[in-house]
This record gives sequence, C-alpha cells and structure tokens, in this order.
Amino acid sequence: MPVTDPVLTKRIPTWPWGDPKDRHIVTYDEFTKTGGYQALEKALDMTPAEVVDVVKDSQLRGRGGAGFPCGLKWTFLPEVDGGRRYLAVNCDEAEPGTFKDRLLIDFDPHIILEGIAITCYACHLDTAYFFIRGEYRHQARVVENAITEAYDKGIFGKQGLMCGKSKYAVECYLHRSAGAYICGEETGLLEAIEGKRAWPRIKPPFPAVKGLFGRPTIVNNVETLAAVGPILTNGVQWWTKMGCESSIGAPPSYGPKLMGVSGHVTTPGVFECDLGIPLSKLVNDFAGGMRGGKKFKGAIAGGVSMGILGPDQFDAEMDFDIGRKYDVLGLGTACPTIFDEDTDMVAVARNIARFFKNESCGQCTPCREGTQWIYMLLCRIEKGYATSKDLDLLLEISGSMGIMPGTTICGLADGNNWAVRTIVNKYRDEFEARIRPSSVPVGMTVGAS
Amino acid sequence: MAWNVKPSATTQIQKRDAPYLTEKMARRFTRKILPRYETKMGALMPILNEVQHEYGYIPYQSMIEIATFLEIHPGDVLDMVSFYEEYHTEPVGKYVIGVCQSIACEVCGHQAILDHLRGKLGIEPHETTDDGRFTLLTMECLGACEGAPCALINDDRHDNLSIDQIDRLIDDLE
Repeated sequence: MPVTDPVLTKRIPTWPWGDPKDRHIVTYDEFTKTGGYQALEKALDMTPAEVVDVVKDSQLRGRGGAGFPCGLKWTFLPEVDGGRRYLAVNCDEAEPGTFKDRLLIDFDPHIILEGIAITCYACHLDTAYFFIRGEYRHQARVVENAITEAYDKGIFGKQGLMCGKSKYAVECYLHRSAGAYICGEETGLLEAIEGKRAWPRIKPPFPAVKGLFGRPTIVNNVETLAAVGPILTNGVQWWTKMGCESSIGAPPSYGPKLMGVSGHVTTPGVFECDLGIPLSKLVNDFAGGMRGGKKFKGAIAGGVSMGILGPDQFDAEMDFDIGRKYDVLGLGTACPTIFDEDTDMVAVARNIARFFKNESCGQCTPCREGTQWIYMLLCRIEKGYATSKDLDLLLEISGSMGIMPGTTICGLADGNNWAVRTIVNKYRDEFEARIRPSSVPVGMTVGAS
Repeated sequence: MAWNVKPSATTQIQKRDAPYLTEKMARRFTRKILPRYETKMGALMPILNEVQHEYGYIPYQSMIEIATFLEIHPGDVLDMVSFYEEYHTEPVGKYVIGVCQSIACEVCGHQAILDHLRGKLGIEPHETTDDGRFTLLTMECLGACEGAPCALINDDRHDNLSIDQIDRLIDDLE
C-alpha cells in the first residue's frame, strides 16, 4: 500500500500534499493542536516494556544508514542498575547528498522531541543529548528554542515527563558539534560528547552496554526517533501496511521514508515515499524528472558512501535490499543524487575521494593513507597522466582497507571503497579513455598482492 | 585534514594580560554547561563553541585558561581544536564565506561560484582579505543539496546561488 497520508511530513507541506512555500516552524501549540504529544501520553499509559514491544513488532529499521532494527537495538540495554543511562540523538547529517533530517529539524523539531521522550521512557534513559552538526547553525537555534519550549511546557525536566504524568524525569540537552563527518559514526559521536576528538571506538563493547561516560547508551537517528511517535499513535498494523516486503527473503522494509533527491533533477527536495519505490518513479513523479529532459546516467544510492547505481539501474527499488540486488553497499540514508548524461564520472569519483580524504579521522593507518592515495590516483586519472596500472592500483587499494577486509575500526573506509569501486566498475570505459597504456609488461604485479 | 601535524615544541604563543576566559564567562559555564555533563571534560566542546563565538577564534592563551578551568591538560584542548574543522586558532574575517564543494554542489556548478569569489575577493580558499573583512573557505556538504550550489555566509545559508546573486549578497555586506 502506498503512503496515502503524510506521516513524518504531516506538519511540513511537501509535494504532493502541500506547497513547500507554506513551510514554517511548528511551535509547541501548533504541534499539540495537530495531535502532537498524544503518542507520548499513550506511551505513558503503557509500561516501558510494552512500548519496546510495539516498536519491535513494527520492525522499524534505523533511518541513519545501516538499517539496523530499532527495537532490537533497544533490547540490548542491560538491566537498570540505578546509574545514569543516555540517549544520543544522531543529527550529524554530514554525508554528501543527504539532507532529509534537516527538513524535520528545520520545521518540526517537536516530532523529534516527542520521539526522544518516548524512547527515554521505554528504555529507562534519563539524559538525552541532541547532537547536531556544526554547519546546522540556524537549525541549532530552532532545536534550542524547541527544547526550551518543551521544558516550559513540562515535557522534560525534574517534575517528570508531561508535567509529572509519569514520575520518570528526562533531561534533554543540545550538543553542537564543530564540523567532523566522523561524528556521525555512533562511537565517534560519543567521544565528541565526552570532549575528545571523535575517534571511533573498537566494538564490542557496544554503546548499549558501555557508551557515553562508560554507561549504557542508545544512539538513534533523528528520523528513526521521529517515526516512533506515529507508530505508537496509529499502531503496528498501520505501519506495516506501508513499505514493502523483501523479495529476497531478508527482513522487510516497512514504513514511509524521507527521501531527498538532489543533483540533475527539475525540482530537487525531500519527499516522503514508501520504501521500495523505484528510483525512476521517485525522480519522474516526485522530483519533476531529469533536468532539461536529459538522459539518466547514474545515481548515488543514498549518501556517497553507498556507491553508485549505473545507467541500467534507474528502476532500482529504494528499499533495504538495494545493496544485495544492485551491487551497492546499501540504502544508506535514501537520499539519491542524480547525474545526467553530461556528467564526468571521473570527476564524480575524484570529488567523493576528496571528501573521504578530508574527513578520514586519522586513527587507522589504512584509511588515513589509503583515502589520500585514492584521491591522488583519481586526480592523476582525471588529468590524463595515469597509466592502466594506476587503475589496477586504485582498485587494489580500495579492496584492501575498511572493515570488510578487517583493517579499520569504522566504516568510513568502506564508504570510500564502495563509492570508488562501483564507479570504476560501472563506468570503466570512461576511466580507460583517460589513461595511457602501461609500459609494465603484462603479468607483473605492482604494489602489494 | 584533521591529522596534519606541525612541529610545536618551540612554539611561542602570544599572551595578553587580560584573560580571554573572563570571570563572568566562567560563572556562566559553571552554572549552565558543567551540570549537563558527567565529566568536566564533557563540557569542553560547548565551551569552545562559546569562546569561538565570543572572539571569532580560539586564541592559544584561552586554551590554557580553559584547561585550567576544566582541570584538564592544555594538550587535550588543543587536541579538540585541531581536530574539528570549524575551530580557528587565528583570527578570521568579519564575514566567513564557506562554499560547499561536495558532490551535488560540484555537479550543479560550485566551481564557477568559487572562481568568481576568488577573483572578486582576491584570495584563495582558507585565506583572509588584508582588510580582515572576508575569509573564504571551501566546506564539505552543508546538508542543503536540494539548493545546490550553496554557501554559508557566517550563520546564514544561501541556496541556488548564481554569480549575480553572490555578487549582490556580498555587496549588501559591504
């Protein structure tokens, strides 16, 4: 069943339900008048365990990139022992091409705060840190105001949730970052809140067991938390009607999803669609088609680290199975960047490699060095100085760093690998047209084997 | 690049008599920021944000003062400041223009905007004009890909930039 009514964008006019020109910041009063904080009220009438069960039954999958089942993550928490337990809200939306969370923060911050309150109640968490990236300066002010409003109205604070309806008290603080992509990695984010450089930690122990300040911590994406409220209000059945089942026997992709389309389309923006919508439909029906009527050449699947969909994959279904079916890393944030026929794919690869080179945190040597070398090789290919051995070396480096060969702590290097490798594999002729034949005899290996 | 290192053993830092971390600021931090975090070090990032907001950059002397205030090592403060891209250790211009250079902006023509700004201001990215009015930065994704190409001017983001528009924006600042 397609999404018939807006869920997350209920109060944010979005095509086809409203005109983006009418968007405005939804205040507490407007939020409560349109059904806001009713889900929290409903949650407080249930036991925490029941709330967790509802979220578990809904099979809500994390909207931050990995698609990990949210309810399952919550059950990893240890028993309450009287010490502090934290929620870290991941709003470090720094992946190029991704801008879906910004829509929620820009206009409807209370839907997130409601999700935070419910999550804290369900999981016995007492302090929430709203971690927002440094570049979102206007948005930080919006969230700050919304949190102040929520405190004034008694949602958070010492008296207990919802003016003391529950004795359970939650504190919510805004934590502004200062510009580092690696903070989006959950353990990097925790380090940043602790006042250290955002070097990801080795897992296990997972944050649910030993996270912020050594205490149990849940890290959830903004959109995931925003979805918790509507699930509680409308029920599991309603939620699982939207989205799609897996066609390959994997866990299903239920629910609506915010998808941000950018690049060479006529009306780029964020749209709320069913999971499983074909990319071509997303582009043609929602984003106004290709800009200038040009032909589709490729699309970043969902944030640059997920890799690229080739010219013959325009009809790829945007669900959590996309990785297995179309040779990309995964759905990521479901924010595709579309390229038309005139795009230079070597330049695209170089741009992505520069991003990862700049944002590598420097903790693991293969990533720190590898991202730099991949960037230099791609610059050389782009300028026409490279030989065919350089292309082989490029693929070799991108196959030998990252979590998957087991040489780095976090997935940043994998993101770089998948992006570069899928672009080279799917547009190899463009790369080969730029390079000269190698003078090294066939059969000789260059670099580590 | 967060991990670029410079030899710093013989570095002399400029000092002034008046402290950067004033009594008033310290009182505010103690009241408002410290209670939010379990460790004193946790308050480091919000405090650095505040100091940068106050002075436009984070002077080395203030790092020592912050370290004393939070009872941590000055090296820990420097560690943070050098890791995060938004912290400046030198004064920046009155207007900081950050042009997004990530993928959506690149394919939608950020290069023309950047080249125009270079010519107009007479500086390269990560430089400040001699009169101290403008600093030009290249930034990674600003999270506004639907409005590519985009740029931040101080705290405000401007979307769908054209050369005319950026000219107008800058002339309005002057």
